[in-house]
Amino acid sequence: MRPFTHYDAHAVEEALTLLKRYNGRAVLNAGGTDLLSALKGEYLLHYPEAIINIKTIPDLAYIREDGDMLRIGALARLSDVVNSPLLRKRYNALAEAAYSVATPQVRNMATLGGNLCQDIRCWYYRYPRHIGGPIGCLRKGNKACLAATGDNRYHAIMGGKGCFAVCPSDTAVALAALNGRIKIVGTRGERSVPVTDFFHPLGNELKRGEMVREIEVPRITGMVRQTFLKFTLRRPVDFAIVSVASVIAVPRGRCREARIALGAVGPAPVRATAAEEWLKGKPISEATAAEAATAALTGARPLRMNSYKVEIAKTLIKRALTS
Amino acid sequence: MHGQAIEKNNMLHLTVNGKRYALEQGSRSDQVAPEHTLAYTLRETLGLTGTKVSCDEGACGACTVIMDGKTILSCMTLTIECDGNSITTIEGLSDPTTKKLDPLQQAFIDHTAFQCGFCTPGMIMSAKALLRENPAPTEEEVKEALAGNFCRCISHYHVVKAVMAASVKSR
Ligand SMILES: Cc1cc2nc3c(=O)[nH]c(=O)nc-3n(C[C@H](O)[C@H](O)[C@H](O)COP(=O)(O)OP(=O)(O)OC[C@H]3O[C@@H](n4cnc5c(N)ncnc54)[C@H](O)[C@@H]3O)c2cc1C
Ligand code: SF4
Ligand code: FES
Ligand code: FES
Repeated sequence: MRPFTHYDAHAVEEALTLLKRYNGRAVLNAGGTDLLSALKGEYLLHYPEAIINIKTIPDLAYIREDGDMLRIGALARLSDVVNSPLLRKRYNALAEAAYSVATPQVRNMATLGGNLCQDIRCWYYRYPRHIGGPIGCLRKGNKACLAATGDNRYHAIMGGKGCFAVCPSDTAVALAALNGRIKIVGTRGERSVPVTDFFHPLGNELKRGEMVREIEVPRITGMVRQTFLKFTLRRPVDFAIVSVASVIAVPRGRCREARIALGAVGPAPVRATAAEEWLKGKPISEATAAEAATAALTGARPLRMNSYKVEIAKTLIKRALTS
Repeated sequence: MHGQAIEKNNMLHLTVNGKRYALEQGSRSDQVAPEHTLAYTLRETLGLTGTKVSCDEGACGACTVIMDGKTILSCMTLTIECDGNSITTIEGLSDPTTKKLDPLQQAFIDHTAFQCGFCTPGMIMSAKALLRENPAPTEEEVKEALAGNFCRCISHYHVVKAVMAASVKSR
């Protein structure tokens, strides 16, 4: 890695002040499992001048219910999310999604905030310097997206605009189905956005000088069934080819509410609103699940090499609903 | 170096295999620079070459060490962020006075749980962390704990047997 100046931030405010001082030339380091790849591969056009370690900020790794909200600090480790008795019991889709991430070692290091803020995995974008990169593309300010005409087997089937990289975060998918929100802080104050709006086709909602402080989820009460299913070629390590998270309430055999989120299909997790509406009041059966799956994917516009993702998504939705 | 050096009185404290190190920050070969990974510091600065680096991007587990009780990837960790931490590497498993191997290491030998051996230190560290938390794991739990350790030589089957054998012995 090339040299940089290093800081340990001991409070959120300190991290924000440093971000402001460096005005775009500093980056935060949480677990480092994504950032260090970027620093080693040098695939971004600008190498940061400073790294700000935020693991030294105390009391930002909590997982607790507080009134009608579940609150998780940005520094909670994925392994803590996986092992939290509270999450296992009442927010299992999130615990399962975290468990599906990478490997035990990565989960011991990676934070929930970092998982949501991690950079995309497009192989053109990440082509490292030591084998001939970086490669310029639309996301890096050039004219064309190389994946649009190149090998796009793992790219978006819906919602891509200019860039067709998919949101790599598994926890984002579960949080989308749980109606989660991301709390963002900057030197000018705090705001909160729904997880589905956090991810943009060319980046995310964070503006220069901002960071994620907390993840909040409306408290789950009553009987709901939650699932997180992820299709990969190998079970550990691999990123999702498609994933589905669902949160459904089916009292007395009829669906009262269904929330279905699709992952790795677009720049953000995609809520299958048409399917959710259609399911309301209906019994859950093989037939209604199949109809819902079809409704969920009607908006899909696959690229040359990834129409197979449509079928996988439909199958995962059917399994999630009928499991 | 800039601001950091002044703010932090320039010393970095690590405990590695029970031994305490006070390392200066800087770019000399016996110092730690901000861009040094823990894998680099262990191997190049402290001479503990038992920890291996293979993919150098978080995917293979060859560089696994135990930090404060948990397995982590030393290739994805900045040494400068480990101040005050306690690290165990493969060199720290044998008995410091008798040099007798840890039962887990012996089990790897007894079951020939390696071929080229490059993944082995990482495998053993993951298995060690598991057995410390769960001395009598099921085979499934062993596989789960080793899911982040890759072996190009396909020693996995023998590794699982070795870990199961070591766990039975430690009961
Ligand atoms: C081998 C491997 C396999 C993987 N497989 C998966 C997978 O299957 N599913 C999946 O979801 N992920 C996967 N990942 C990605 C991994 O989950 C992420 O690298 C990790 O979650 C990032 O968390 P971190 O704390 O290490 O982030 P860091 O690497 O510290 O940070 C990542 C980015 O987010 C920024 N950042 C971190 N925290 C904040 C914050 N609080 N506010 C604002 N910005 C912040 C950093 O500046 C940096 O740009 C894999 C990674 C590896 C190495
Ligand atoms: S998908 Fe996005 S990141 Fe990948 S080449 Fe196209 S513009 Fe670049
Ligand atoms: S060398 Fe660290 S994970 Fe491969
Ligand atoms: S024994 Fe050769 S990589 Fe595992």
